[in-house]
Formats: sequence, C-alpha cells, structure tokens
Amino acid sequence: MRNVITIARKELSIYFTTAWGWFGAAAMAFISAFFFLDLLEGFVQLQASGRRDAPGLRNLTDGVVVNLFGVLLFITLFVAPFLSMRLFAEERRQKTFELLFTAPVRSLEIVLGKYLGGVGVIGAILGITLIYPAILAVFGSSESGHVLEWSTVFTGYLALMLWASTCMGIGMFISALTESQALAAILTFVVLLLWIALGVLVRSVDEPLRSVIRYVHFDSQLQPLMKGVFDPKAVVFFLSAIVLSIVLTHRAVEAQRWT
Amino acid sequence: MAMLEVQNLTKRYRDRVAIDALNFTVGEGEILGFLGPNGAGKSTTMKILTGFMPATSGRAVVGGFDVFERPLEAKRCIGYLPETPPLYPEMSVRGYLAFVGRLKGLKGKALANDLERVAAATGVTQELDRLIVNLSKGYRQRVGLAQALLGSPKLLILDEPTEGLDPRQRQEVLTLIKSFAGKHTVILSTHILSEVKAVSQRVLMINRGKIVAHDAIEAFSQGKENGLEESFIRLTAA
Repeated sequence: MRNVITIARKELSIYFTTAWGWFGAAAMAFISAFFFLDLLEGFVQLQASGRRDAPGLRNLTDGVVVNLFGVLLFITLFVAPFLSMRLFAEERRQKTFELLFTAPVRSLEIVLGKYLGGVGVIGAILGITLIYPAILAVFGSSESGHVLEWSTVFTGYLALMLWASTCMGIGMFISALTESQALAAILTFVVLLLWIALGVLVRSVDEPLRSVIRYVHFDSQLQPLMKGVFDPKAVVFFLSAIVLSIVLTHRAVEAQRWT
Repeated sequence: MAMLEVQNLTKRYRDRVAIDALNFTVGEGEILGFLGPNGAGKSTTMKILTGFMPATSGRAVVGGFDVFERPLEAKRCIGYLPETPPLYPEMSVRGYLAFVGRLKGLKGKALANDLERVAAATGVTQELDRLIVNLSKGYRQRVGLAQALLGSPKLLILDEPTEGLDPRQRQEVLTLIKSFAGKHTVILSTHILSEVKAVSQRVLMINRGKIVAHDAIEAFSQGKENGLEESFIRLTAA
C-alpha cells in the first residue's frame, strides 16, 4: 500500500506542476460556472412566472443542482481523457517505464498508484464545483426551511465520482496501449462517446437487445443516483467497470514486458 | 561468493534470438566491463537481469535471489541506470530522488541521509532544488546515476553511464565507478573501450547474443596498449 501511495503522490504532484491539472481545473470551473448561472437564471425566471408546480422547479435541488450534474457529467467526458492520456503513455515516452518496473514494486501496485493519482486529480477538479451547492445553501431560501436536499447532492456527487473514476480507468487502459498521448486522449474520448451514443441505439432496437443496451448504457445507470435515489446496482455496475479497467491495464503493461 | 549467476539465459523474439544461452558469474565487489557491438544483446541482457523483461529460458540469480521467482528481493539488490536516464523532467532533483528512494523502501531520516549521500557522490548537491527539465545532459546523467545508487544496492547495472558527458564529467563518473570496487558489484556496459580499461577488472564480451570472451582484463590487453581494441575487433568480427 505504501508503494501505491508513493506512486499516487508522484502522479498528483506532476499533474499540478504541469499545465494539465490546472487546465482541467480551469475548464471545469469556467464551463460549469457558465451553466450554473444559466440554470439559476432560468430557475429564477420560471419561479417569477409563477409556474412553481412544474416538475423540477419546486426547489433549488431539482431545479438547479440536479440539472447541473448532467452538465458536469459532460464536462468530465471532455476533461478526463486529457488527464488520463499521460498516465502510461508518458512513462513510455520518457523511458521512465523501466524505472518503475525495475524498482522493488509489484506491477499491480504501479497500476493502482497511477489510477489513484488519476482519480485524485479528477476528484479535486470536480471538488471545485462543490462551490455551487454551497452558494445556494448560503444565499438561497426555501419555504420549507431546507434550501437544498443534501442527500440528493451527496448521491449526485457519488454518481459523478463513479463516472469520473470509470472514465479515468478506461483512459488509463488506453494510455497503457500506446506511446502517443494524443492518440490515447482521442481514443478514450471516442470510446466514452460511443458509450454515450448507446442511448440513441436504445430507441431503435427491439427486445431483448434493448434491455441489454439499456443496462450497459451508463446514463440509465447514473440517472437514479443523480436524482437522489441511492441505487446499489449502479454502484456495483461502475465499480465492476473500474475493476475491469484496472485488470486490463495490468494485463496490458505485463504483456508489453514480454514482447 | 558470486553476486550474480547467469545460467543458460536465452531470449527469443519470435524468430530472432537476441541472447543465446549465456552463462557467467560476477563476484562480489567486482567491476565487470560488459562489451559488444551495437545490437549484440547487451541491453536485452541488462533488461532481463533487472527484472524488467522475462527471459525465454534460463535463470539469473542476484544476491541469492532468482530474478524470475523472487523478483522483489532480487530487485532490492539492484541499482539500474538504463541507456536513457529515466527522469521526470517536471520534478525537482530532490523530489525525483525522494520518489525513487521511497520506491526502494527508504523513508524518513534514512531517506534524507541517503539522498544527500548520493547527491554528493554524483555532484548534484547544488542542483537538488532545480527542475530536471532545466538540467544539462551531463547533470541529467548524474541524476540518473544518483537514483541507481540510492539504497546502496549490492549490484549496480550501468548502461552507458558516461553517454553525453564531456571529457571532464566522464572522468569524474569513471572515478566514482572505480571507487565502488570492493563495495558494490558493477556491470558496466559501454562501447568505449578505454573506459573499461580504466575501471574494470574483468571483461565479458558478447557478439550476436553469444559470449565470445569472459576473462581478466590483462588477458585481453596482453601487455599491448591497444590489446583490448584488437581483441574486440577480432572477437566480434563474425
């Protein structure tokens, strides 16, 4: 475990001594702030128009925060490949791959350390967006007394972290397959995009394929969590995807040493 | 006692044989010059000995530990400087050496002391707080050597450690390697024969994946100034 943390710390320090971590953080902060203001303004306008009973407009949680989660999910889709691309591709390009694999460390510890570092950086970047619920809690008001439903905010962030961690896992695996960071980023983006595109396919195919596609489509797994319903199935689904990507990355780096 | 024992070590890449049934031993405290023309299989051999790459067959035992069966124990005995120093340009020299030290199991005061020791030995003390990206090629090579020395490994495997250094730096590194005699076992791979003459006691020469000579340095020079060069050209001609 000590080695895993040593490697994770190194990853984190590199993310924040190079432009990548800051670039991701800036992109997340800028784009999410734009959408947050837009959602808030829309909410205020609709409230003013008196349509308070429309679904999603009863309170700030459903009207703003839940909708913001959808936006954050998309920003993560763009940011994650840029963060994950360097995890292994850069080690190979810089020839530091040999340093790690000749150190008295298990290869699984290397993979886990890198993954933890990646999740740490995307977690820190998503953490910036906690400012929005905080702003609403401080400055918002509600007739019922509670401005925000914190349980919904919590499950929403759980959903975002599961999604971001899965993106990093897939990105790390692809990064382990190539020496080119740009290629790793593009491939990760394409894979994640195809995963999203499954949603379109759901409508155009028949049963039983439809149920299968709906199950593997990440959005249908995430929706309950993002709406505040804790769904253990979804947690298991994403944890399985994460474990699978770690195992595949481990196999990929091991295989490269044999050739 | 032998620090390194290599038995029938073979590596095949599909139809190409990179190294073919190598057998040799290196004694404790010995400095071995590892010679061979480009593509002879030197780097492959070193990658296998350091546990980076598995062999197709045969075995290698470092400090009593089989590299393939007990890789972690064997790796703890080895300090390795690959052909290209494995550096993270965005880290400071201190941060980098601390990272490698931690991977080798050092911590706290012991890590700080060892870091100072290797920095002083390789002459990078003044550069500890500089970013590696800003270092000259010579200093990068020294930092690469410093990381290999961390944890005082019994066996040092150095792949062209003087590459890219100016004559003065080259001399300093060679003097440093020479000072390891009796303390560390060193495998020094290079194609600069004068360096081998300057520091090594024994020479292992390979050509096309096979050992063509393994003997004391005097046996190659035979009292002649350029005896090692002549032997090298003759033995690697095939």
